[in-house]
Amino acid sequence: MHESVLAELRRVCGAEAVLHEPLQLLTYECDALPHLRETPAAVVLPRSAAEIQDIVRLCARENIPFVARGHGTGLSGGALPVAGGIVISLARLNRVISVDIPNRRVVVEPGVTNLEITRQVAPFGYYYAPDPSSQQVCSIGGNVAENSGGAHCLKYGFTTHHVLAVEAVMPDGSLVHIGNSLPDAPGPDLLGLVVGSEGTLAIVTKVTVRILRKPEAVQTLLAAFTSIGAGGQAVSDIIGAGIIPAAVEMMDRLTVEAAEAAVHPNFPPADTILIVELDGPTSEVQEMFETVETICRRAGATAIEIAQNDEQRMRIWKGRKAAFAAMGRMAPNYYVQDGVVPRTRLPEVLERIRALEQRSGLRIGNVFHAGDGNLHPLICYDERIPGQADLAEQVAAEILTYCVEAGGSITGEHGVGADKRDYMPRMFSDVDLDVMQAVRDAVDPKRLCNPGKVLPTPRLCGEVPGPYREHPLERAGLGERF
Amino acid sequence: MTVDGIQPVEVVTPRDVAELAAAMSSAQAARRATVISGGGSKLSWGRTPGRVDVVVSTARLSHLIAHRHGDLTATIESGATLTDVNRLLARHGQWLPLDSAFPAATIGGIVATNDSGPLRHRFGTPRDLLIGVTLVLADGRVVHAGGTVVKNVAGYDLGRLVSGSFGSLAAIATATFKLSPLPATSGTIGVLYRERGALARDAQLLASNQFEFTSLDVQVTPGPGGPEYRLLVRVASSPSATETQLAAVQRLVSAASQMIDGRAETDLWRDQVAAPWIGNATTLRMAWMPAALAEVLTLLERIGHETGATVTFTGRSAVGAGLLRLDGPPEKAATFVERLRDDDAVANVVVLRAPSEVKARVDVWGEPGDAAPVMRAIKTALDPAGILNAGRGPI
Repeated sequence: MHESVLAELRRVCGAEAVLHEPLQLLTYECDALPHLRETPAAVVLPRSAAEIQDIVRLCARENIPFVARGHGTGLSGGALPVAGGIVISLARLNRVISVDIPNRRVVVEPGVTNLEITRQVAPFGYYYAPDPSSQQVCSIGGNVAENSGGAHCLKYGFTTHHVLAVEAVMPDGSLVHIGNSLPDAPGPDLLGLVVGSEGTLAIVTKVTVRILRKPEAVQTLLAAFTSIGAGGQAVSDIIGAGIIPAAVEMMDRLTVEAAEAAVHPNFPPADTILIVELDGPTSEVQEMFETVETICRRAGATAIEIAQNDEQRMRIWKGRKAAFAAMGRMAPNYYVQDGVVPRTRLPEVLERIRALEQRSGLRIGNVFHAGDGNLHPLICYDERIPGQADLAEQVAAEILTYCVEAGGSITGEHGVGADKRDYMPRMFSDVDLDVMQAVRDAVDPKRLCNPGKVLPTPRLCGEVPGPYREHPLERAGLGERF
Repeated sequence: MTVDGIQPVEVVTPRDVAELAAAMSSAQAARRATVISGGGSKLSWGRTPGRVDVVVSTARLSHLIAHRHGDLTATIESGATLTDVNRLLARHGQWLPLDSAFPAATIGGIVATNDSGPLRHRFGTPRDLLIGVTLVLADGRVVHAGGTVVKNVAGYDLGRLVSGSFGSLAAIATATFKLSPLPATSGTIGVLYRERGALARDAQLLASNQFEFTSLDVQVTPGPGGPEYRLLVRVASSPSATETQLAAVQRLVSAASQMIDGRAETDLWRDQVAAPWIGNATTLRMAWMPAALAEVLTLLERIGHETGATVTFTGRSAVGAGLLRLDGPPEKAATFVERLRDDDAVANVVVLRAPSEVKARVDVWGEPGDAAPVMRAIKTALDPAGILNAGRGPI
């Protein structure tokens, strides 16, 4: 990176906020998807939206790609740096700006963690609903970028359902207010476009979220089954009975064993563990919980445990939430996928995954949000064995194919990022992707804002499939086709 | 059919997505000012256009394509009416929990206007339930976004982008929604207040409690002795949960309340949704901070007195969103809108429907925010010839 650019960055943010020594840059080479790595030219740690505006304007002027980064917990390489580009860390924009209990909303900067919002409002009996497993450390800015979900999104929805407004720096450096903290801002739902755009359209500098009252009652049940099919039947019957639980989670034998070894939740031995949580007014929860219990027994549950208090509930959730990390005990490396299938197709897709496990020789643990069909297959491999890392990636790709073939999605909550952009054509047509690219180009015509994420290899804007036609940029001598 | 009093040169009624695409691309090729219409129930909303060359009606795209009841999702052609869709979904004990004041309102029109009513308290607006769309761009390209699963973050959310776009970005061909189970029972508590302060206090008390209401609405209507204030609280759940919560509400509120169920309850909510649209009045949408309800009601009464406009108000008190009906001469309504916009207690004041004299005096959309250049850039990318909803807004 040119020294004059570094000097200007130092002038904007202060010398200590600009990192460019190789050792300093190491931390920023990847997010929580460590197999994708890239060294940026520099990392800046601004403290305000105004500083971000200056950085982005500088990038626009010098044609330097920039990548916004929260706390680096993303699982799709959404914060993967661009070679020669700048990483803009939002870690220092970590102020809670306002807590408005009477109006049930909180305004925070993007570097505030997800759980910090709940910590701020818990004394008043409120909480922030989206609860990704990383909620203790992930940033709200990252949640907005990825439209994060969590175990409880079956009932409560995703980040997009809980964000009322954002302030953002656009790729030209302008500061805009998208949505306002009051409902029904006129015009297209730009906020709905920006939430989940994975940092490719804007850098969010302030977020207004709504908070909810803690439910009056929470009831959690754990049921053991001898097959995924039996557990799946219980889930179908629960939904069929008109019950929308707060969470419905399933774990297979391998992930249960891993969790047991790691955090000892003392789950009953089973092929499949189902966790169902209901929350809401006491009268409603009690009545529906009895129905859920009956359904589980009828579906062949071999054991049912009901959490009698918060401590027991925490133990159940600890077992579930530790599943990812616990897989580290089962294999030196693992690869997490995030495919989604319509809930009714779960048994069939899981059967295909089991067959793939046998065929590939790689163990695959399955832990999933059964209520909404979001699978998290954990593909175990050993990178020291030549070819296994590649094989794991092939297996992951195969699983995503099953999901798409069943009418699902390649990602339910982790985002496309750099990891799955090449799978996008399996879900979307060329036209779909061209139009998404056109929207991106309208907002970021210089293609500097988190390039290489979400959409497959960039196309020239205005390029249409079919016989060759000279693009206006080619005609003007500003671009060429390879 | 007229668009806000303007006679379109031509009305096209495609039978399928391919014909819709052909209609769009030929309109763009000839640079014709194009309005997308569903049931035509909101064709008078928006700015009055200078001319309308073609209305593309989705009336014949009216099929329920798929009801995946096991997955609680449905894919619906945009021209299907909400009433018809809910009749079909009820066969499997499910529904799309949205309100419309208009029997002819279609799925496409409801999404394009992001229209909502009392059910919003529990279920949100159409954009909150939308999980996938098929759109047709002005150049005839057919575009998909989202999908048919409730949890999906792949690609840009173009479905949300067209929510509230009023047909200015693309035509909606199909929409996929997440559904809800039909509740077993429903009941409503109606509370009548003599003064707005007591209404606002009770509304805030209930909103910050741990109930799961289906609706928490307020209503202010002109009465013989001054405004009448009502709070309407609906619970729809299992029989015992409904009864328990409604009884708790009756214990909490500070004025005499009445339990309403069965046919009377259905009628009550139908009337609440229809109230803003009675007669040929001016109807506004506006938003406020929920805790400022008393201040907002005072403001509405003050401006009503000052201007001489008669105000009917219905709103979602925990959300802070609602509709105003202004009866009286158009010039009074126009002045009302101007004064309302001058006050910081309310925001996003949009004139949805109004006599031409009102629209001549005030812009229906109000001041665009600082994100307007971003919206215009997206509009140019999707509708480069600027034919869609030309002259009507919002972009």
